Amino acid sequence: MISRMTPGPPALPRSAMSAATQNAIHTTTAASARNLTKTFGRGEAEVHALRGIDLDLPRGRFTAIMGPSGSGKSTLMHCLAGLDQGSGGAVTVAGTDLGSLDDDALTIFRREHIGFVFQSFNLLPMLTASQNILLPLELAGRGIDDAARERARSLAEALGVSDRLAHLPAELSGGQQQRVAIARALLTQPDLLFADEPAGNLDSATAVEVLDHLRRAVRELGQTVVMVTHDQDAAKYADDVISMQDGRIV
Amino acid sequence: MRTVFFASLRASSRRYVAAAIAVIVSVAFVVVIGVLISGARAGLMQSDGAPYRGADYVIDAPEGRPSPGPSCCPGTLNTSAAIELIERLGENASGLGRVALPAHDEGGAPLGSGDMRGETTVGPIATATEMRWQKLVSGRFPARMGEAVMHVWDAKAQDIAIGDRIRVGERATATDLEIVGFVESPTTWTQASMYVSWPQYLQWRDHATFHIGSVAVRGDVGRLPEGMAVHPAAEYVTESLARLNNGTDAFALMLLLFASVALFVSVLVVANTFSILFAQRLRDFALLRCVGATRRQVMGSVRREAAAVGLLASLAGTLVGVGLGYGLIPLINALAPRTPMGPPTMPTLWLLGGLAVGLMVTMAASWLPTRRVVRVSPLAALRPETTVDVHQTAGRVQLALSAFLLVTGPVQLGMAMIQGSTVLMVSGGAAMFAGVLLLGPAFVPALVRALGAPLGRYGRMAAENAARNPRRTAATMAALLVGVTLATAMLTGMATWRMAMDKHRDTRIPIDASLTLLNKPVTADLLDDVRRTPGVERAIAVDGTLARITGWDAPIPVLTTREAAQVARDGGAFAHQIEPGTIRLDHDAFRSPHKELNIKPGDRVTVRVGDRQVRLRAILLGGWGKAAMVAPETFAQLTDTSQPHVIWVRAAPGANWLELVDDLDGLADASGAVFEDRLQARAVGNRQLDILTWSALGLLGISVVIALIGIANTLGLSVLERAREHALLRALGLTRRQLRRMLAFEALLLSIMATLLGTAIGVGFAWVGYETFVKRALGEATMQVPWPALGVVFLIAALTGLLASILPARRAARVTPAGGLSLD
Repeated sequence: MISRMTPGPPALPRSAMSAATQNAIHTTTAASARNLTKTFGRGEAEVHALRGIDLDLPRGRFTAIMGPSGSGKSTLMHCLAGLDQGSGGAVTVAGTDLGSLDDDALTIFRREHIGFVFQSFNLLPMLTASQNILLPLELAGRGIDDAARERARSLAEALGVSDRLAHLPAELSGGQQQRVAIARALLTQPDLLFADEPAGNLDSATAVEVLDHLRRAVRELGQTVVMVTHDQDAAKYADDVISMQDGRIV
Repeated sequence: MRTVFFASLRASSRRYVAAAIAVIVSVAFVVVIGVLISGARAGLMQSDGAPYRGADYVIDAPEGRPSPGPSCCPGTLNTSAAIELIERLGENASGLGRVALPAHDEGGAPLGSGDMRGETTVGPIATATEMRWQKLVSGRFPARMGEAVMHVWDAKAQDIAIGDRIRVGERATATDLEIVGFVESPTTWTQASMYVSWPQYLQWRDHATFHIGSVAVRGDVGRLPEGMAVHPAAEYVTESLARLNNGTDAFALMLLLFASVALFVSVLVVANTFSILFAQRLRDFALLRCVGATRRQVMGSVRREAAAVGLLASLAGTLVGVGLGYGLIPLINALAPRTPMGPPTMPTLWLLGGLAVGLMVTMAASWLPTRRVVRVSPLAALRPETTVDVHQTAGRVQLALSAFLLVTGPVQLGMAMIQGSTVLMVSGGAAMFAGVLLLGPAFVPALVRALGAPLGRYGRMAAENAARNPRRTAATMAALLVGVTLATAMLTGMATWRMAMDKHRDTRIPIDASLTLLNKPVTADLLDDVRRTPGVERAIAVDGTLARITGWDAPIPVLTTREAAQVARDGGAFAHQIEPGTIRLDHDAFRSPHKELNIKPGDRVTVRVGDRQVRLRAILLGGWGKAAMVAPETFAQLTDTSQPHVIWVRAAPGANWLELVDDLDGLADASGAVFEDRLQARAVGNRQLDILTWSALGLLGISVVIALIGIANTLGLSVLERAREHALLRALGLTRRQLRRMLAFEALLLSIMATLLGTAIGVGFAWVGYETFVKRALGEATMQVPWPALGVVFLIAALTGLLASILPARRAARVTPAGGLSLD
């Protein structure tokens, strides 16, 4: 892992737990799909969103899934993230076959192993920025101890939103909202961080900042990040690019 | 999840206001009823329970057996046995009874005036001071024979002062009593004009009306004489009260009916609030699910939110209710001193009940919307926008259920009408109404379209808008429908009942007042004087003759007339429809403490005028004074000559009846006539009917206010829900004014439809109620539909809808098209 010693935002905090988790799973694949299909509708209205996807996402890398609208990239991400179940095939994340989980187990799996950054509407409008960051811990029913608070604070500092922690999402700019969302996604050190057009709603300068933060997460923390985008410029930040068209990887 | 819960509650608090108000009003309603009932009970215990306050046991005549007491007074104790018992128990017993006696003042003039002239009632005073229930106002209680206390009202009316002497009784039992004090009686149960010591009371034990109704006993009763029953005192009072106050219970039942309607509307309001609020927050829930909240967690949070709203609103409602209830009691006491309310004990059960009901209403109302929330897929957070499914129509289960209710409801109503069963009527009405509400989404669109079609461009647009989401439209309508149905049913029912009561009373008391001259005929001057008296609408002189009748030892006028219709309240039927061979007598007019008309209905009596006599069958009715009525044929058999002996007076409505009675009494005194009036009875009756009518209308007002909250709430939320649609319409070229007008039309359409439907159902319910009990209780009742009042209801309801749409429409129109479209 190369850490560029540039003056800039403080380094993203790593924790002992992060290393331990990584050591525990001796594999280089964070997630994989085998012959994954997804069909919507029936009869004439039948749409094949995914037509047999085989895919391995390597651990500790920044992968971009690219493709035009309707290519199936979002559906693939939903299936990989456990937000949706495929019609056929298997998805394995962090060694767990997602098809074997019921809704509750899947939810808890998401909570513990997967982080999300969406294009918009990332934050609960009635919670402050810091409450939003701590939300995954809150949902897990874990006590929010000083260590967690400290970690949230240092994440916020690293992402440059530490002075906005007491504000509601409506009082934050689009870029700030995305950075708070990244902080939330990083808090639990998930096996996979999914980003769905994370810069889609932002002006280009802010978009660069957000994408840069995601890349730092990969470089500095060894975080696995999967980003769905149709933007060539955004895809340049990724280590690997997977292109999709008509439900297939091309 | 706690952070989410508190933050959500805080963020949505403003939108919960309407739901909370609905719950607060309902709970307060229940609690006020509880406090008032408790106050009424305390008041009754203080007043009517007073004679038994110091007692452990009460002895009375057992029910369901021939009365052991004197013939005058059914349900009283065998007099000699009761006296023996009281003598045996001495200071520990207090006999309760009364005797009616002739009374004269020191000069020998008859005491008092009017019906009771020359008469008084005398009751005993307990020997033990602690068992005396009469309240001493001034002076002292009698200490020995020859002393008495007098009821302060009677003393005032008869100008009696402490120290005055009154001769009570006649001949052998005549006694001079010195008035040593004034008392007030907290109850009318055993009230008398004068009270004397027990030995003094016994002096009249052989008098016809002397009786001992019950005995209050302190300590052990000992051996109970034959023909008596013993009850624990507290139980006795409660049971007697329950028997006496069937009216109060019916009133409580009516209050509860209103409260349940209020609760029902609250359920609608709360359910609407929650479902719309949750629909707006759908993406929040979806995001929560994405980030790792399980269904159970989301549901738990939402349920807790509903519980918190319910609990806070119920607590507030309880406080408001207690405050209102305790505030109302002095007000009621001030307005209606004859029905005193005591300081209520805190009605804990009612309070807890109100609290529980409020909580349950909120929880129940939030149940369905909550279930829909947890079905949300996490993916919903990722869609650019969540479109609420607008094609919500009635589901199959709902249709089946409503069909079931719409069949069983009318069947129950029909059975209620046949059997006169109130329970069936209430359950049938509830079933039918619930059926209509459930069916709402199925028939509302067609109805709205039909109504909107003739209203031009806006009408059609508004109708299409309203028809597009039948469920939402039906829900908006429901609150108003409930209010209008209730108002219509109540108003129609009240009008019918009031009319029936008036008619019933008019038949019983056809003549307002009468002047009777026995020794000489009525002069034209007297008739003129009566007619000129302010407050007299009409007066006629009635021809007749003096006759003697078996069963009454003084001559009485026997009358016949064809002109009673001019003054009689019943159209003259009592005087005109007399069969030859019968004689009608006013039973009440011949009842006095001295003597009583010794005739039973159907008895044959001999009527003599001079040397002619006729045997006639007696029919006892009442309401025209101390005179007998016969048919002209019968009259011709009795005599060939007739003279006016009686003047019948009809009082003008709205006149000061007290002054009128005073003036006519003066005229009667001056001319030697006997004056009798039933105006007091009529006035008291009117007041009772008015109190009932107005309290029912007041309660109706509260229910309507809740209905208003309901419709304003649902309209407001539905506008909020459609903000994006409106923005699109605005973007496509709808002006602000047009948007406002469209929404106003929609509200107007809805409220008119709800009003029409509610009026139809309400009149139907009123008809069922009329067939079920009004017709049974008051045979001659006819159904009355108060069209003007219903017109007012219609106007109010339509205006309400319009009014309720103003604020939401303004808010909708203020949003810019761009702002509306980008709404999250």
